[in-house]
Amino acid sequence: MGFIDWKFLIDTFFVALSGVPVALLVTVISLLIAVPFGFFLALSRIYEIPVLNSFAKLYISFVRGTPIIIQIFVLYATIPLLLNGLFEKYEIDYPIYEINPLWYAFIIFSFNTTAVLIEVFRSALQTVSKGQIEAAHSVGLTTWQAYRRIIIPQALVAAMPNLCTATINLIKATSLGYAISLQEITLKAKVEANFGYNYLEAYLDIFIVYLLICIAVEYLFKWYEKRLSRYQLRLV
Amino acid sequence: MEKYFDLSYIWSALPALLPYLWITIYIAVLSVICGSIMGFGLAAAKLSRNKWLRVLAEGYTTIMRCTPSIVLLFLVYYGVPAFAENLFGVDLQNVSTGVFVVITFSLQFAAMMSEVIRSAYLAIDRGQFEAAVSVGLTPFQAYRRIIFPQAFVIALPNFGNGFISVLQEGALAYTIGFIDIVGKANLIIANNYGTHTLEIFIALAVIYWLLAIIIEKIFALLEKIFQKGKQPIRAT
Repeated sequence: MGFIDWKFLIDTFFVALSGVPVALLVTVISLLIAVPFGFFLALSRIYEIPVLNSFAKLYISFVRGTPIIIQIFVLYATIPLLLNGLFEKYEIDYPIYEINPLWYAFIIFSFNTTAVLIEVFRSALQTVSKGQIEAAHSVGLTTWQAYRRIIIPQALVAAMPNLCTATINLIKATSLGYAISLQEITLKAKVEANFGYNYLEAYLDIFIVYLLICIAVEYLFKWYEKRLSRYQLRLV
Repeated sequence: MEKYFDLSYIWSALPALLPYLWITIYIAVLSVICGSIMGFGLAAAKLSRNKWLRVLAEGYTTIMRCTPSIVLLFLVYYGVPAFAENLFGVDLQNVSTGVFVVITFSLQFAAMMSEVIRSAYLAIDRGQFEAAVSVGLTPFQAYRRIIFPQAFVIALPNFGNGFISVLQEGALAYTIGFIDIVGKANLIIANNYGTHTLEIFIALAVIYWLLAIIIEKIFALLEKIFQKGKQPIRAT
């Protein structure tokens, strides 16, 4: 295996690792933005609220029907145009083209993840039977209390595996941050490889870093799922 | 804003883009065919009694699930020629980039398919096989005539989703210089000196979106057709 530059491989591994905080930051912030929106749109789909329901359907169909890279391209081109128009209208003097790509990343990836989470939450909420909410009402809980104490804790257990998949897909999607020059794992290692054309080594490093992150995330989710489901009655 | 954005340009961009759609579809179909064959092998390994085969197949699936498509694409693009040249002395410099794209997405689709095939196989009651053998069919005939047609219907929706996802991940093929529909879009943008970027990307998004909707409809129709033979048990 003489064709692999081992020294470069090891040095670049740490360069790739230094991009992990950015990738995780984008993942966590996008999830934090997407969870409330996803949840309320999921509720509006379940209760078939007229305008929101059809909006959610269209939105999900678009996000699932187009590649993420195209969504990034479209949003990355649209947002500055919109901002430009807004700033001109209100005469705000702010350099649009110097906005940190992190902000674009938050918008783009939460836009994508919200659509995924709507379906995740919808299917999870539907696993809880209607009798649960009726029982909660009959003992005097308000609908809000019933959701918070009875429905959501049960639905969350059902949602866990899909949430895990969504999170992993989101982490993987941050590798496309190069398109908006986001300084994350892939871009950092790739730039390092540009000097000596050591692309194979750089991508091996990126590959290992993503593998480690994903295994850690999967493990965390499994652990949390176990913790959440400890009150569930099991058939012996 | 009229200066930056011209809606009619979207229409005029479509004729330039659409011929390249066939390349995108062609690559996706080739990947799906190769990936399905590999997926069958992997599913068989996962269901086999040999522990090492099972561990190997499970490990492969985990690795594939954790690797972003773009990283896998570049690993294959740089890795396969490097290994072929240094270990086997084969020169792959003149191989078309399309080959690497197909290899990448076949590898990815195989992991996806192995899970789909396994769950479809496990969904079929063991008694079906036993009943088939007891009326004198050979095991091969039992698989071909009894198990496969039933498992096929169960796997169909997931197969459709997998096909759409390969099509979408395939949008990344432009990063290694492959000229499919996204590659062509980027060429057009380069020829326009970076103007009308948004219009081209919107045209791309619309094409992908329509394609995904059409494929979804086709698979829903296929499912209906193949389900004809299935007769649910009636209560009467």
